[in-house]
Amino acid sequence: MIQFENVGFRYKRGPEVLQSVDLEIPAGSFQFITGESGAGKSSLLRLLYLDAMPSSGRISLFGRDVTTLTRDEIAWFRRRIGVVFQDFRLLDHLSAAENVALPLTVAGAREAAYRDNVTEMLQWVGLGDKMEVRPPELSGGEKQRVAIARAVVASPDIILADEPTGSVDPAMAERIMALFVEMNRLGKTVLFASHDLAMIEQYKLPITTLRGGTVASGMGAAA
Amino acid sequence: MSAIRSKGALIPFQAASGGLMLLIVAAMAFLACFALAGALATTRIASTWTEGLAGAATVRIDANEDDRARRTSLVLDILRDTEGITDARALNERDVADLLTPWFGGIPDLGELPAPGIVAVTLDAENEPDPTVVQARLDGAGAGAIYDDHGRWRGKAAKAARAIGNLSWWALGLTALAIAASVFLVISIAMVAHKGTIEALRLAGAEDRFVANLYQKRFFWVGALGGLIGSGLALAAFVGLDALSSVRAALPMLDAPYYWPFAWLGIILTCALVALLAARLAVLATLRRRG
Repeated sequence: MIQFENVGFRYKRGPEVLQSVDLEIPAGSFQFITGESGAGKSSLLRLLYLDAMPSSGRISLFGRDVTTLTRDEIAWFRRRIGVVFQDFRLLDHLSAAENVALPLTVAGAREAAYRDNVTEMLQWVGLGDKMEVRPPELSGGEKQRVAIARAVVASPDIILADEPTGSVDPAMAERIMALFVEMNRLGKTVLFASHDLAMIEQYKLPITTLRGGTVASGMGAAA
Repeated sequence: MSAIRSKGALIPFQAASGGLMLLIVAAMAFLACFALAGALATTRIASTWTEGLAGAATVRIDANEDDRARRTSLVLDILRDTEGITDARALNERDVADLLTPWFGGIPDLGELPAPGIVAVTLDAENEPDPTVVQARLDGAGAGAIYDDHGRWRGKAAKAARAIGNLSWWALGLTALAIAASVFLVISIAMVAHKGTIEALRLAGAEDRFVANLYQKRFFWVGALGGLIGSGLALAAFVGLDALSSVRAALPMLDAPYYWPFAWLGIILTCALVALLAARLAVLATLRRRG
């Protein structure tokens, strides 16, 4: 489902932040992406949610070379990918419920059809009592959970999470991890980027380590 | 759970930018109404002039008093015998004096002026005679008369009215262009402020047209409301002008033409549609530029 072939990526004319990355992530798998700060985790995810195109190499997503996608196709592909951003990217003028409903709203779904789903999702992340609250009034951990609910509400095929447990306490981190594992059990492909090796290693799931923009170990690592 | 907000609220539009746009559209709509009035009035004046002058001709007989009666009789015989002329009537001294009154004031005794004899000719509108043929017949009979079907006047008057009318249509077009340019500018600025929101929408899977719809819907209503306010003020100004009888006499377009309600609605609709289209183009262009 996700295939990186010798992928390189640079920001404008800067140095390559990803070099010769080869990855093959089967549909329905769970993959941790780890590495130190600046190793290229966020850039790799950015390529996956089509916010940027590779500078070299080829990325295949849902059987398509991403560089051949039209603007509309990129939008449709993004509907099949749920993303939890490190900086949440919530809209401050919308309530928590409206933020969670965003992927459904842009997909043209009617409120009556998804209202229960949004309520259920916010209850699932423990924010059933904060549906009308706007992000500026939420704590970092609460924002993180709203972002997670938004990422999964439209039942995407792929879930990308960039340090989703970074701003929460250990108990909440465990709860969030359990949510992602549950989503994976439901057949979703999950890519979970984190630099918290201690937490990752508890789960006995595949780990790909990035170092200096290349795959150092795990799937696609140079022999 | 209370209602999740409608799509329109996804973009946090500022009241200030909406108010500014409303003011610009209202001012443009006000000017557009006057341009439209100019265009419609000149079109109407042109047709009135050409219709008024059509179907009629005059013959001028330059002769001294002794010979005038004979020549007038000769001219009348020739004209009445010409195909395409339905009537010919010699004007008496009083009629000629009336014609000259606007230029010379009241003329008690026309005999003191070297005024020519005039024959008023009524033409068959469907079958007007060739003026050169009529003139040739008059010359052939030695009538010493000049036939004038007002063709030169009609052409000039209509051309002048058409030129003014065209200018008014151009002014109307430029007004629409100014509205479009203002919307384009306001949206380009607004989209910088909304960058984070637009980015979030796009990453959630919004197509360019979805984002464009959010803006165009808003600006359609700003355009319609601006058009309503501007054209409403213009209408009030027209009613005020209409109340002044001197203005009414000078401007025949104020004679309550049937098309005013349609023109009014047309201005409002045009403002709304121009704003909508400009908004759509501005959003799509900005999104493509951002990549």
